[in-house]
Amino acid sequence: MGTLLGLTVANVKSLARDRAALFWTIFFPIMFVFLFGWIFGGSGGSKISVGFVDQDGTQASGGLRQALAGVTLLSLHDGTLDAEKAAMQHGDVSAVIVVPKGLQDAFVQARTGNAASIAVQVYGDPSQNQTTQVVQGAVAQVANGFNLAALGGSAILTVSQLTLQSTSISSVAYLVPSILAMALMQLGIFAAIPLVQQREKGILKRIGATPLARWKLVGSNVLLRLMVAIVDAVLIIGIGFAVFNVHIVGNLLEVGAIVLLGSASFLAIGFALASFLKTEEQAQGVVQVVQLPMMFLSGIFFSFDFLPGFLQTVARFLPLTYLGDALRQVMVNGAQVAPLGADLAILAGWLVVCLGISARSFRWE
Amino acid sequence: MTQGSELVIRVADLKKHYGDVRAVDGVTFEVARGEVFGMLGPNGAGKTTTIEVLEGLRPPDSGTVEVLGLDVLRHPQSIKQRIGVQLQSVSLYPRLTVTELLDLFGSFFNHHVPTKQLIDAVDLGERAHAWAMNLSGGQQQRLSIALALVNDPELVFLDEPTTGLDPQARRSLWDLIRGLQDKGTSVMLTTHYMEEATELCNRVAIMDHGHILEMGAVSDLIGRRFRERAVFFDSNPKLPMELLARLGGVSRAAQEEGQTVLYSNDVPGTVGALLATADEVSVEPRNLGIRQATLEDVFLDLTGRALRD
Repeated sequence: MGTLLGLTVANVKSLARDRAALFWTIFFPIMFVFLFGWIFGGSGGSKISVGFVDQDGTQASGGLRQALAGVTLLSLHDGTLDAEKAAMQHGDVSAVIVVPKGLQDAFVQARTGNAASIAVQVYGDPSQNQTTQVVQGAVAQVANGFNLAALGGSAILTVSQLTLQSTSISSVAYLVPSILAMALMQLGIFAAIPLVQQREKGILKRIGATPLARWKLVGSNVLLRLMVAIVDAVLIIGIGFAVFNVHIVGNLLEVGAIVLLGSASFLAIGFALASFLKTEEQAQGVVQVVQLPMMFLSGIFFSFDFLPGFLQTVARFLPLTYLGDALRQVMVNGAQVAPLGADLAILAGWLVVCLGISARSFRWE
Repeated sequence: MTQGSELVIRVADLKKHYGDVRAVDGVTFEVARGEVFGMLGPNGAGKTTTIEVLEGLRPPDSGTVEVLGLDVLRHPQSIKQRIGVQLQSVSLYPRLTVTELLDLFGSFFNHHVPTKQLIDAVDLGERAHAWAMNLSGGQQQRLSIALALVNDPELVFLDEPTTGLDPQARRSLWDLIRGLQDKGTSVMLTTHYMEEATELCNRVAIMDHGHILEMGAVSDLIGRRFRERAVFFDSNPKLPMELLARLGGVSRAAQEEGQTVLYSNDVPGTVGALLATADEVSVEPRNLGIRQATLEDVFLDLTGRALRD
């Protein structure tokens, strides 16, 4: 056990002193979290900036504003109609809500039994249909509430809000588990490179000439990578939470177990690759050929459903699809590609098959 | 035979083939405790394959291979505890320091020498905390030998320990290897430097194409083949060869690398006759000298080829 620990420490030191390796195993995935976080998160979280123009200036219009401000999706920005339209043209706000003069009068008329109607206007950009619909929906909901209250009735049909993250919207919450899956995939597959390097340089052979048991040599490599996997997971989840407000809904122990299983599966793939590669240059190339398409085809950066049919078929063969899926299900309750049990079984299958290949084909020199 | 206590290596009819390549094709030799045994030969002769079979890194195809009295196939672990191994051109974990590497390798063995003592033995004190990748070629080679000594081995294998080193670094390694012999460690080394074998080895085996061509003490190998010594000189114009071949004591006359060489059983007689003959034709022999045959000559004689990198 002491030698296993000693070798692992030697591996940790070697990694910590190798800036290039450190960059790829730890800083690269973190960079991805920030990059995607900023791209998809926007500056004010996921809120939509909306201009609010109050031309009525009464208690009623104030109440309407308060109700709209209570909609968590919206962030209101008050101003005159001209100023808000200009702001929208600049892209500072995504829509403008205009409350015309006469709102309060209309309510007063309605209470006294006279027919009255007034329209709240919503300016939207047709090129940002989704955003406009969200704003119109929110305004319509608030308006309905006002109508009901004005008529003294109570709502018969209400909508109760339940949370269920949907994969159809790109969001940081979708991407954090994906980036973690990417990091674990690369961590495992990139393990082929130092192995091939150590074989090419004769380090494996030299150690083979000592009484050290070979499983300890392999074991120390596995331990190192699993430790880095945990570090990656803590950093990625931590930054996702602290900076981009992505909450983990699942059990952290479950997340940890999936992280370890996923890392082990990709490590086995890395070992299996190393069994067939002779030179470090070869390894550098082949590792990229394996990991780059996998990164883009396995639906970790966009929903699986967005892939065209034949690519979905390809994706169904890639282990990264299932690691991403499992992490998403447990971490943020994302929509599933396959049931969690199936995800884990497929990862375990890759682990067993690749370990078998490595055991048969790995050469020490 | 009760050779166990005396022999550290016993190899009988060892064969190791790779496909059609007969890397080692029936090799037999023994090394006694305390001996420095050298295996000489050009690249591809089968030296490294032989030594790697002895180290337990490759299984032999056939033949008997015993190290420290133990069969290499049946007791690889016990053998590995007691031998030291230095492989050809291995660069170790490049970002570990000399001290860290020696500590790490020491931990692989049941017993190991204190790291400080090893560092002093190979004179790496000033570089104890330098990364392996930042050592010079000679320092890396010394580190590699220190790693081979980490378990205080009874028998050390050194595979071309001085290849690629400058003459000064080579001499400092020779001192190190002599020091090993002085404390009773047996050494088996391979080299393609004849001078190295002459300097260090009690006995050598000359190997080529997977066979041992000749084996014995360096002086015996030379004496067995070359009773005569060589008288060499330059002259302008050259003296006729048939005239030189008839001089007293000369067994053979040759032109080698621009020099005239007379192989002679009677050096004073040959030199006297040469000077007299030269005087008659008014030619002055320059750079006249006498030398003993070397291992290089033995190799040339055995294989018809010069032994160079």
